Amino acid sequence: MSTVMTSTPSKEATEKTSIGMHKAVGWILHNVVWIWLVALILGFGMFNEFFLSVMNMQNITVQATVLGMLGLAVALPLLVAEIDLSIPANLGFSSAIGAIAYADWGMPWFIAMLVGVGVATLIGFFNGLCITKLRMVSLIQTLSMMIILQGALLALTQGKTLTNLSDGYVWIGNASIGGWPVMPLIMVLALVIVGIMLKMTVLGRSIYAVGGNPLASNSAGIRVDRIKIITYTIAGFLAGIAGFLLASWQMAITSNQGSSYLLYAIAAPIIGGVSVFGGRGNVVGILGGVLLLTVIQVGLAITNVPSFYVGMIGGFMIFIAVAIDAVRVRYFA
Amino acid sequence: MTSQTLKQDASADTEFALRIDNVSKSYGAFYALRSVSLNIRRGSIHGLLGENGAGKSTLVGIISGQRSPTEGTIYLNGTEVAGADVRSMEEAGVFLVTQEPMIIDHISAAENLMLGIWPSKGGFVQWRKLKADAARMLKGSGIDPTVDAGRLNAVARRKLNILRAMFSGGKVIILDEPTAALTVPDRRQLFDFMRQLKNDGVTFIFISHYNDEILEICDAVSVLRDGALAGGSEDIASMRSEQLSELVLGRGLVLFQRERRSFESEPVAVSLRNVVANHVNLDRLDIRKGEIIGFTGLPGAGAKELAKAIFGLNRAKSGTIGFDGVEGSSLPQHPKAAFDAGIAYLSDDRRKDGAVGHLLIAENIALSSLDRRAVFGFVESGKEASLCAGYFASMGIKAPNAEAVVNTLSGGNQQKVCLGRVLATEPRLLILDEPTRGIDVGVKQDVLRIIDELSKTGVSVIIVSTDTDELVRAVDRVCVFGNGAIHQTVTGDDITTENLRRLAQA
Repeated sequence: MSTVMTSTPSKEATEKTSIGMHKAVGWILHNVVWIWLVALILGFGMFNEFFLSVMNMQNITVQATVLGMLGLAVALPLLVAEIDLSIPANLGFSSAIGAIAYADWGMPWFIAMLVGVGVATLIGFFNGLCITKLRMVSLIQTLSMMIILQGALLALTQGKTLTNLSDGYVWIGNASIGGWPVMPLIMVLALVIVGIMLKMTVLGRSIYAVGGNPLASNSAGIRVDRIKIITYTIAGFLAGIAGFLLASWQMAITSNQGSSYLLYAIAAPIIGGVSVFGGRGNVVGILGGVLLLTVIQVGLAITNVPSFYVGMIGGFMIFIAVAIDAVRVRYFA
Repeated sequence: MTSQTLKQDASADTEFALRIDNVSKSYGAFYALRSVSLNIRRGSIHGLLGENGAGKSTLVGIISGQRSPTEGTIYLNGTEVAGADVRSMEEAGVFLVTQEPMIIDHISAAENLMLGIWPSKGGFVQWRKLKADAARMLKGSGIDPTVDAGRLNAVARRKLNILRAMFSGGKVIILDEPTAALTVPDRRQLFDFMRQLKNDGVTFIFISHYNDEILEICDAVSVLRDGALAGGSEDIASMRSEQLSELVLGRGLVLFQRERRSFESEPVAVSLRNVVANHVNLDRLDIRKGEIIGFTGLPGAGAKELAKAIFGLNRAKSGTIGFDGVEGSSLPQHPKAAFDAGIAYLSDDRRKDGAVGHLLIAENIALSSLDRRAVFGFVESGKEASLCAGYFASMGIKAPNAEAVVNTLSGGNQQKVCLGRVLATEPRLLILDEPTRGIDVGVKQDVLRIIDELSKTGVSVIIVSTDTDELVRAVDRVCVFGNGAIHQTVTGDDITTENLRRLAQA
C-alpha cells in the first residue's frame, strides 16, 4: 500500500513534465517551417554576410512574389481535396496572350494585361467545370491542360522570346518606392485577401468543409461543385496575376515561361502545411513554404556553391522540411 | 515468479480462453480503465456492454494488443500475454473485427479472405489452392467465393471478416458492434452463424449497445461503467433487460416515452403530392403541425428513399411539397434548396455524410446555416459564437468546449453535434434518418427528448427508423413502406413492437 502511495505522485510528476516536453516539441515542429527558415537565413548569413543585408532581403521578397502567387493558386484546389497542375503553364500562356494583345492587337497595355488575366481566369473556370460537371479526375485533367497550354505557348511564340512590352506593363516588376520594391506588396495583398476569404467568409468556411468531407458538406446544404469551380477560378485568376508579374519583372516572356515553377509551386503550400487530402492549411503556412524555398534558392546562389550541386542540395533541404513535417503529423498531431 | 505458477494453473487453462486480471489503463491522472477482471469461458459468447466512454474500446484495445495496460495481466489459455502487440496477439489467435468491415471491394470474396496470407510458392500466388481453400471456408456461409466483395451485402461482409479472422487462426474473436446497420433478418442470420461457429469451439467477445441482442446471443455478460466493472453474470438467463440498463447507467434508467395523441384537429403543415423518384412512388401524404411521423420498412422499400427525395439527395423526377396549406412547389433538387425551404435532414451515417470530422464542434453546428448569419458573404462571428454556444448547451454535448474537434467525440456526442447543425437552420420539417443508431441508451433518451420538445414548438418531424422500439417510444404515427409506397399506416395504441415487426416483414 505504502509503495503505491509514494510512487503515484512521483509518477504523475514525471508524466506531467513529459507531457510538457511533448507539447513543447509539438509546438516547435508545428512551426518548423518558420524555425527552419530562420536557421537557414542565419546559416547562409554565416557563409556570406551579404545574405543578411537589407538589399538581399528585398531581393528575396521580390523573388518570392511570383512563387507566392502560384503557391496560393495551387493551395486553393488542394484545400478542396483536388489539384491543379496547369497553374504554372496557365501563367505562361496567359501572359503571352496579354503581351500579344498589346503588341499585335494594339490594345492599351492595361487592357491587354486584363485580357491575359481574364484568359487565365477562364482557363481555371474551365478546369473547374471539367472536374465537377464531367467528373474528370483533376490530376489527369489538369496534367493534360498543362501540356496543352505549354504547347500553345510554344506555338504562340514560335519559340521566340517576347520582349515587346510597354513601359507601363513592366513598371510594377521593377519599380521601387523609397528604395523598397513594389512587387512584393502584390503578394502581401493577395495573401491577406485570400487569408480573410478563408477565415471569415462563407466561401472560405465552405472550402474547408468541402475539403474535409464532400459528402457531409453536400448534405449540409453546401453546393460542392460550385465551391470547387470557384476555387479553380480563383486559382486561374491568381495564375494570371502571377503571369503578369513575372513578365513585368523579367521584361520578357520566353517560350517556356513559368514551367520551371511547377514543382516549387506545388511543394511550397505542402511544405507550409496544406494537406494534399484537403481541408487543412492556411496562408501563414503557405507564406512560410514560399519563403523557405526562395531562401534556399537565393542562398545557394549567393554562397558560391558550384552550380552542379545546387539542385541536389536544394532538394535535400526540401526533403528535410517535409520529413520533419511528417514526423510532426505522425507523433504530435 | 507468480506468473510462472499461474501459467501452470491447469484448470484455468482449460476452462477459460481468456482471463483479464486486474487490468488498469491510465493516461496521466485519468483512468480509462480501473482494475478490471474478466474471465471468458472457452467456446462461449461473452457480451460486453457499456455507454460510450465507459472503457469498452480501451479494454478491447488492450485485449487485441493495440494498447498495453498500465497495470494488470492478460492470460490467454493460461499464458501471460500482457504487453504484446497486435501481431503477436493475432498469432496467438485473438482477432478484433471492427465496425467498418475491412474489405476491398473490387476483388473477390475468396481473395479478401486470403488478403496478406496468400498461399504462395516462390512469391507466386497459388491461385488454385487459394480458390479451393476459400471455397472450403465459405461453404455454409452462403457467400460465393468468386463474386466481387463489393457486391456482398452488409451481413455477408461481416461474415467474411469473421471467417477471415478464423482462417488466420482466430480462436478468440472480438466483434465490435457487429449488428450496426444490419436489418432484423440479417441480424438473425449473423447470430445463427455465430452460434454455429461457437459450437465449433470459437470464443466470441460481443460488443453491443442493445440489451435484447446481448440477451439473445450471449452466454455471459460483463458491464463496464466509468472504466470499472459495474457488474455482470456468468448465466445470461438470470438477467433481464432492465437489470442490464441499470448496470450500464448506474441508476434506474427512465426510458423516454412520448405522450401520443391524435393530430387530426391540428392544421396540415406539410403536404406531399405525387412524388416520383428512384424507388419511390407516393400519391399523397399530409403531416400535421407538431406531429412526429415514423417511416419504416425493409431496405429498399422506400422509407429512406422518400426521406432523401424530400430533401433533394435522391432527386425527385416529379412531385410537390406544400407548407401550411399553401399550394405546393416542386421538391428541392439539392440540399441547399431544401434547407432554404425549411426542410432539414440528418443522415444515418454521421461519419460518411453527417459531420466534417476534423472541423470544430462550433464550425459543424454553423455549417448548414452559414449564409443566413452572414453579411455580404462575411460570417458574423459574434452571432455565430452565441448560436453555437446555445446549441452546444441545449444538446448537452459532452466536450470541454465548442472548440473541440468533432473526431475526438464519442458517437453519441457527434450525433448531437449533427442534430445541432440541422436545428440551427430552424426547419419547419425535420427529417431524421436512424437518429439513434450506434449511440448508447442514455444518449438515445436525450436525443428522443430533444426531438419531442422540438415537435412541441410546432415543427413536424419524420423519423426514418428500423429500430421498432424507437418508433414505439417516439412517434405519433408510423408509415410502413413496401415497394416504394406507404402500404400501411399505424396509429395510436396499434404502434407496438410486435405489430411493426410483423408489418415490416410482410
